Amino acid sequence: MTRTKAHRVALGAAVAFLVSGAPGLAQAAKIKGKVAGWRGLLNPVWDEARDPKKHGYTFREVVPTVRAEYRALFPNIPKELCIVALAAGKQAPQRTAILIRVGGGRTTPVTIVVPPQTQLQFLNTDPFKHRLYGVGVQTFQVGETVKGAHRDWAVPGPGSFEIRDEAAPSLRTWVIGEPNVAAIAYPSLKGEFQLTLPADGSYTVQAYFAGKKVGPAVPVEVKGRDVDLKVPIKVAEEKKAKKKDDKEKDEDKSDDDKDKK
Amino acid sequence: MVLSRVWYAVLGLLLAVGAFVLFMAEGMYNRVGARSMGEALNSDSQVVSWYLGNDARQRSAMLIEFALHPDIAKYLAKSSDSESKVPEDAKDKVGAALRAVNDKIPTDFSFDAVFAVDQYGRVVAHTGYEQASGLEDFELGGYPVVADALHGFIRDDTLVLDRIYRVVTRPVEVEAGSAPAGAIMGARIIDDKFARELSSRTGAAVAFYTKGERVAAGSPEGFDKSQLDQIITDLPNATGDADYTEKGRSSIRTIGGAGLGVQYSRLPGEAWELGAGFAVGRLPAHVDGPLGFFKQADDKDKKRVPVILVALIAIGAMGVGFVFSIFEHSRPLWIFRREAGRLAKGQADQLAPSKFRGIYRKIAIDLNDGIDQVAAKGGVPRRAADLKQVLGDIPAEPQMSAFSFPGDSVPQPSSASEPEAPAPLPSAPSSPRLPKVPPRLGAQAQPAQQPAAPGAQPPFDSTLPSMEASPAAAPRPPPPRRSGADASPTPPPAGANEWRQVYEDFVALKKQCGENVDGFTYEKFEQTLKKNRDALVARHGASRVKFSVYVKDGKAALKASPIKG
Repeated sequence: MTRTKAHRVALGAAVAFLVSGAPGLAQAAKIKGKVAGWRGLLNPVWDEARDPKKHGYTFREVVPTVRAEYRALFPNIPKELCIVALAAGKQAPQRTAILIRVGGGRTTPVTIVVPPQTQLQFLNTDPFKHRLYGVGVQTFQVGETVKGAHRDWAVPGPGSFEIRDEAAPSLRTWVIGEPNVAAIAYPSLKGEFQLTLPADGSYTVQAYFAGKKVGPAVPVEVKGRDVDLKVPIKVAEEKKAKKKDDKEKDEDKSDDDKDKK
Repeated sequence: MVLSRVWYAVLGLLLAVGAFVLFMAEGMYNRVGARSMGEALNSDSQVVSWYLGNDARQRSAMLIEFALHPDIAKYLAKSSDSESKVPEDAKDKVGAALRAVNDKIPTDFSFDAVFAVDQYGRVVAHTGYEQASGLEDFELGGYPVVADALHGFIRDDTLVLDRIYRVVTRPVEVEAGSAPAGAIMGARIIDDKFARELSSRTGAAVAFYTKGERVAAGSPEGFDKSQLDQIITDLPNATGDADYTEKGRSSIRTIGGAGLGVQYSRLPGEAWELGAGFAVGRLPAHVDGPLGFFKQADDKDKKRVPVILVALIAIGAMGVGFVFSIFEHSRPLWIFRREAGRLAKGQADQLAPSKFRGIYRKIAIDLNDGIDQVAAKGGVPRRAADLKQVLGDIPAEPQMSAFSFPGDSVPQPSSASEPEAPAPLPSAPSSPRLPKVPPRLGAQAQPAQQPAAPGAQPPFDSTLPSMEASPAAAPRPPPPRRSGADASPTPPPAGANEWRQVYEDFVALKKQCGENVDGFTYEKFEQTLKKNRDALVARHGASRVKFSVYVKDGKAALKASPIKG
């Protein structure tokens, strides 16, 4: 499978929902929108890794030519921020397995929201083996997945499930079992997203990050036409992000001072 | 012998002290060696940690070359703008640039693999990591070290992928102030080559391990790195060490029969959580027993030994021992032998105790007492000497008439075949009879019992040992015995004076013994001596004959000793 194809599979999970639940693509309506404030989010794995007490490095220094706003450890939203369209009622799980790539120290996507009983297929795209397991999940015990192999798992029920890898501590994946999921999408680096819905109706647009809801739930009424959300969905406070960034800068400075000492 | 014995005791004590000190030194040496080993291992661990950190810093500086390459920055930015896929031209351009820059980096700081990552975390191009060749979806963006670089940080990490990699990353910027276009990651494989370099620069014997296996090892010259294989069996125990878990460095552990000291340290980075780390090892400075010092000592140690002083001590100790043995053993023995020789030669009638010391004085006194005892008993009962054996045919009228004094009832000498019978003296001076000559000295002939009748002439006692000896042999006159002052032999006077003295001694001894000396004139005495002397000189070729007096069986008797030369 080529990278383009895999990328499409991953990022087009929402499309897959649409295909499974809708009479035809031609009749599908879309919800277009944008997320804002995502730089205020903090990738929990990276955030933990910068803690000197974790012994993750011997030195970590800022590059002064990179502006502070970029130095915040905001997530890679095309993989980590899952935008979900929740229908009013329960949705049927997808008939085919949703592909999740395992490689590069994480999975793609990192967070996914699906109806229970949805089949997930973890494909190892790294040139070495992984040992995935679900934290506290009886149906997902530690198992080895060699290069190019995949491992299938069905979401057992509603709730949040965390998947980890014994061979890569940075790999943390959140799978949320949500019965009413009608469509999901992942924003671009600019924050733009597009949800393809299976049918007209009332929906709620909700963002998920690191296994949790972030930002407000936005109700959307779809009636045969695409809907553009004029107001961006603010998933985090930008100001807060800036404060965090400043705080981080101070911490980095103190780390540097410690190193010099 | 006191000094010698004290010296032996001193030497023994010194030897014991030496052995004690050696054993004690062995224990101290081994204990200090173990402690030093622990300190050295701590130091090694620290040095290796510093080396890893410093090496990462120096290598991170090399990443600037990549970050400043115009093609790398430009095409990483282009790739970051393409959400769907990495542009093919970006792959080619960045790949070529990576190889070109990596070739220019000094060997000491070069990378085994270099990766160029765009903002999505996708690997646009890489060099040196052939395992990922052909993988379209190869990315690294999830690793904190890459994420940090994409967010404007330079840092290091230790990744455990298919192998252990020490990696450094830095952002790549198109222009200052903008978001990084991507990141560059340089990786160094932790393999035997890396371990060897590390070992050569730090002097530490180091082994890297992960997942319970040793993956690389390097050791300085003189240290067998296969010894570090033993860490595999010890790892499960070491990783349970509280210090190892909490602080990342275990306590000093001793493994294997050779007492290999090992300290385990966790590697910084992701490897910390994955149980990867390194172990430094050292063999203790250890001696097996007191003699083990000789094996441990090198040429420098041996040169430091003051050999001259040691030799002087040895020579001095030997000298003292020799001196003591000479003074307390050899010299007294020599003196004793000399005095005994004098006694044997008749130059002294007894041993002079004042000349001896210690046990020799006691021996001399005992010998003197013994001689006196024997003399007091009138000599040891011996078989009568066969004078004929010594003198040959004795004339019918033995020239012992000198011992026949007028008025004396002189008993006839006994036959040589009757040694136990009293030897009668010649009845008349004109017909003296020589007494039986005793057998040769070696035969230990018994002197003849010659009880003299009251008033009889004193017998010429020819049964004395001196008479028994061959004149040709060294004369071995028996020590002349005197009772009290009379027991001393007459010194060898010359001529008439000597005989006069012997006569006077003889007369005096006779008187002491209560014998009658009336009519016993010197002239008669002299004639008798002369005849006997002549006979003995003729038979033995002696130059002269010495006469002495002694008491035998309560009566005065004469002894003739031929002296040769």
